Parts: sequence; structure tokens; C-alpha cells
Amino acid sequence: MSPSIVLFWALVAVVVAAAAGAALARNLVYSALSLGVCLAGVAGLYLFLQAEYLAVIQMSVYVGGILILVLFGVMFSRDLLGNQTRPSLPARLLGGITFLVVLVAAARTAWVAAHRGMLQTVAGSLSVVRSAPEEWPGTIASNAPIHLGSLLMDQWLAPFLVIAILLTVVLVAALGLVRKELP
Amino acid sequence: MNDILLAGPEHLGPYLAVGALLFAFGILACVTRRNAVGYLIGIELMLNAGALNAVAYGRFRSLEAAAEGQILGLFVIALAAAEAAIALALVYAVFRNFRDVDLDLVRTLRS
Repeated sequence: MSPSIVLFWALVAVVVAAAAGAALARNLVYSALSLGVCLAGVAGLYLFLQAEYLAVIQMSVYVGGILILVLFGVMFSRDLLGNQTRPSLPARLLGGITFLVVLVAAARTAWVAAHRGMLQTVAGSLSVVRSAPEEWPGTIASNAPIHLGSLLMDQWLAPFLVIAILLTVVLVAALGLVRKELP
Repeated sequence: MNDILLAGPEHLGPYLAVGALLFAFGILACVTRRNAVGYLIGIELMLNAGALNAVAYGRFRSLEAAAEGQILGLFVIALAAAEAAIALALVYAVFRNFRDVDLDLVRTLRS
């Protein structure tokens, strides 16, 4: 095993363990902090996918912005340590069942390109994924940030503008929601 | 399943497995949490799973699709930021009216 493979699997383990901590930790501060570890680990996975720009954005927006917001929101909680408001038994049962259902559904789905055999059987019927190879197509040069920028300004201009309008609306709406006199 | 375990960073399987686990943990948090912020943490986990799947599939489809997958991930991150801002504003509004963010307490319309 080469060092990069060991590093990759260590990163995967950290991401999954941090996600479990974020979902299960009783103390909400621990939960928010392990969410931060999980988000940083996903940024590392983006690096493995050669999406360096996205990894930087993930670190600055998610870990730098959203996580601070969540930590700020944690302060509103009266029962921070989770001693009084434990999930009820039906909620735990329902949560465990949905968790297992989602995992089993994901494991039983015929993910094209995840298995060599399925690639040949399924790819013929789905033209969308016909080009999906099991391993990635070499090192790519087309994902440099400058390429992303030109693509964003050319082919993806309409969704980009919609996102821009949405962010403006969200900013105003958030200010309106926290105003002193709530209608 | 053994194929996935033998794979490395240049295979699609591990990314899909991580995405599925993140999504499942997000659902678990959303179902069991009574605190509004804990619920928000679950939603962030699920959004991250979606973005990771988009980037991974784009990377493994073709050279042109790699950049498109990243743009999709970029949009997901922007939407997550917007969603977090609105959710925190709502949490604050709920906190001001109810003095707590326990979702079980917020049922004014019912009683």
C-alpha cells in the first residue's frame, strides 16, 4: 500500500467517525465541533478528487462561515449538555430504522462504475452513465479555477445569477426575521 | 463489496460509500434531535453528502464532466450557506418567542 492510499483511508475513517459524532453526540458543542472535523475531511476528499478550488471554498465557506453560525446557534440552547432533552424511545427506534434503510438502499443500489460486473450490464441501458469508467480518466487539466470561472460565466450563467439573487434575498430575509418588532 | 474495500482514491466506490454514510447520519440526526441546531447539523451533513457525490461522479465520468460536477458542488455550498443563514434567523426568532430552541416546545398552533 502506498502512502497516499493509507492517507485516503485514514481520511475516510475520520470523515465517517466525525459524521457519527455529529449525529450522535449528546453534547451539542461536541456535535458542532465534529461537524467541523467532518467538513474539513470532506475538503480533503475534494483534494483527492483533484478539486482544489472546491476544497478551498469548502474550508472557507463551510468551516469558516457555516460552522461559526452553528456554534453561535448552539448558544441559544438552554440544555446544552443534552441531559434533559434526550431523544425519546420512538424517535430512537425510528432514527435507527431510517438509518438502516438508507444504508441498505445505498448498498443495494447498482451504482454504475462501482463494480466491474455491473458496469457492463447496466451501462447498456443507461446512456447517461455509459461513459463512466471504473477508474478515473487520468490526470485532468480542465479543472483549474480559471476554467471553472469561464464555465461559470458562460454555460452556467443563468443558475449563477439565480444564486446571486437568492443570496441577496436571503440576506434581507434573515435581517427581517431577526428584527426587533416581529410581525 | 470486497471490491470497494480493496479500492483506493482512484476508484468511485469509496466516495459513494462515504456519501451514503454521511447522508444516513444526517437523516439519523434529523430524526432523533429535538434541538433545532442539532437538526440543522443533520441537514448540513446531508447537503455535504450530495455535493461529494456530485463532484465524485463528475470526476469519474469524463474530463468535461469533472468541471461541471465541481460547479454543482459550488452551488450546493452556496445554497447551504443561504440555508444556514435563514435557519439561524429562524432559530433566533423561535428562541425569542419560546425562550428555548427545543422543537417539541414549538407547537403554538396546535394547542
